[in-house]
Amino acid sequence: MLKIKSLISGYGSVQILNGANMKVDNQSIVALLGGNGTGKSTILKACSGIIRTWKGNINFNGEDIQNLPPHEIVQKGLVQVTQGKDVFPAMTVLENLRLGGFTLKSKQILNDNIEKVFNYFPRLNERKSQLAATLSGGELQMLCIGRGLMSNPKMIMLDEPSAALAPQIVLDIFKNINKIRKDGLTVLVVEQNVRMALLLADYGYVIKDGVINVEGESKKLMYDESVKDSYLGGGGTTANV
Amino acid sequence: MFKGFKLTRKLENTLMLVFTLIFLGYISMSPDMNLESLKGVLIIGITVGIIYGLVAVGISLIYTGLDVVNFSHGEFFMLGAFTGLTVYNFLIDGELIYAIFPDAYGWVGYVIGLFFAFVIMGLFGVLIERVFLRPLTKKGGGYTVAGMGIIICGFGLSVVLLNLAYIIWNPTAHPFHADLGLPINIGGVTLPMTYLWMLVTGFTVAGALYFFLNKTKMGLGVRAVAHSKVISNLVGINVPLYISIIFGIACALAGLAGTLVGPTYQVVVYMGYIILLKAFASAVVGGFGSLPGAIVGGFTVGLFETSCAFFISGSHKDAYAFLLMIVVLLIKPTGFFGVQVKMKA
Repeated sequence: MLKIKSLISGYGSVQILNGANMKVDNQSIVALLGGNGTGKSTILKACSGIIRTWKGNINFNGEDIQNLPPHEIVQKGLVQVTQGKDVFPAMTVLENLRLGGFTLKSKQILNDNIEKVFNYFPRLNERKSQLAATLSGGELQMLCIGRGLMSNPKMIMLDEPSAALAPQIVLDIFKNINKIRKDGLTVLVVEQNVRMALLLADYGYVIKDGVINVEGESKKLMYDESVKDSYLGGGGTTANV
Repeated sequence: MFKGFKLTRKLENTLMLVFTLIFLGYISMSPDMNLESLKGVLIIGITVGIIYGLVAVGISLIYTGLDVVNFSHGEFFMLGAFTGLTVYNFLIDGELIYAIFPDAYGWVGYVIGLFFAFVIMGLFGVLIERVFLRPLTKKGGGYTVAGMGIIICGFGLSVVLLNLAYIIWNPTAHPFHADLGLPINIGGVTLPMTYLWMLVTGFTVAGALYFFLNKTKMGLGVRAVAHSKVISNLVGINVPLYISIIFGIACALAGLAGTLVGPTYQVVVYMGYIILLKAFASAVVGGFGSLPGAIVGGFTVGLFETSCAFFISGSHKDAYAFLLMIVVLLIKPTGFFGVQVKMKA
């Protein structure tokens, strides 16, 4: 579904990605792991067109999408969900969701999709006419993911859905991500919470200094010595979360 | 001396109330004070206020959408007045309108003039934004790091547009003889028709803008782009297009306001400068960046200015708006509606 070939990109004149290669299969959950400042979010931003691709190739569903305007990438069905608090605080939950479906032409589909999001996250239904600013951290994350689902995407990229949330809420959100995949979407999830992400994902990539360092089936990655040492805080048991 | 002294919201509001009461008490002692003059001041103040409000809404729209304070906004007001005047003269004085509608009245030409001022200034605004402002900022509508340079460019644009108008229409004042009928009497106040047009059109347009922003999909997009360009991109909004739309709407409103004011005063190339400053005062009083605030600020400045000019002294009319602005900034620095919705951390 998504193929990234020797991607080079960065901010301003600072190069962050030094030729990253990745592949995300249809209807899979892929985890992209790595420490701070290694270029996890940069890959997502390049995919969604927020920053320019300097060199390399991003292929989505057989089409090259590097350096397309962001709104066209959304129309093609690739949606990025940014980290937690990126909602429109002065708008209601419902308005936020409507904005998520901005590319939809029909009002009927829009309303159906709102129902679909409320099915995943019933909490949002209870709060639909509240301003987004009044939501709790977990609800904000639900709203962000829900907004991403509104435009009928084929693939959704999540940027640290577990950031700054209580473990119980993280578990709830990850269960829903799994449900979303079962309903036919492809998911790429960027995470710092390595154990949780590897439990959820089918395949994992570990990025270091702007290149993919290690990759493999997530069950193998969990016991991979180098991953353990660098990201899992070596020596800990990986089974308990 | 003021250690630990903090302007709380309650204290701010109390001080505002005290200031209002002192002001009302002061003007009520004026020898000119009677019911008739009060009614007149109220109507004229609201009329002037809606004009300030329309221009201030444009400034606030551009500020929220583009992160730029548009110092050339007054020139769009002036060019709008000239557009309306030219169209009106072309239709009425050229007697073109009578060829199409033999029984036409002056107001038909005026309505067409208003429409053209609105549309042409809107398109002209889009052109200015696309051709001159956008290349000055980062490519692709990246206005968020605009900084000081673009503000100075706004001043420059203002001078250029002023001189352009100077070449086309020369510096003399052009009378705008809109034939709108005899003055009418509202509740004992004799009001020229031009004021009625300002009132009705102003309120209609403000209402339409409210409807557009809150009830339509495009309005939702405008509000989204005004809050964050990055998130708007990610939900699939064509942000560069919407930035042009925002600039176009703001300039169209200024152009419309120009044609509304034209018949009451005169149309002259320097008319944009003072309206710009007063619209700024209105936007600051209402809370910079807030659209309802801009309209309410316009009313406040209009009413304050008119009542001061009538009851205190008419010779310093243009200073009162800024006096009010200073008082509001001292007492309530955020303005009336300048409350930002803050996220919970």
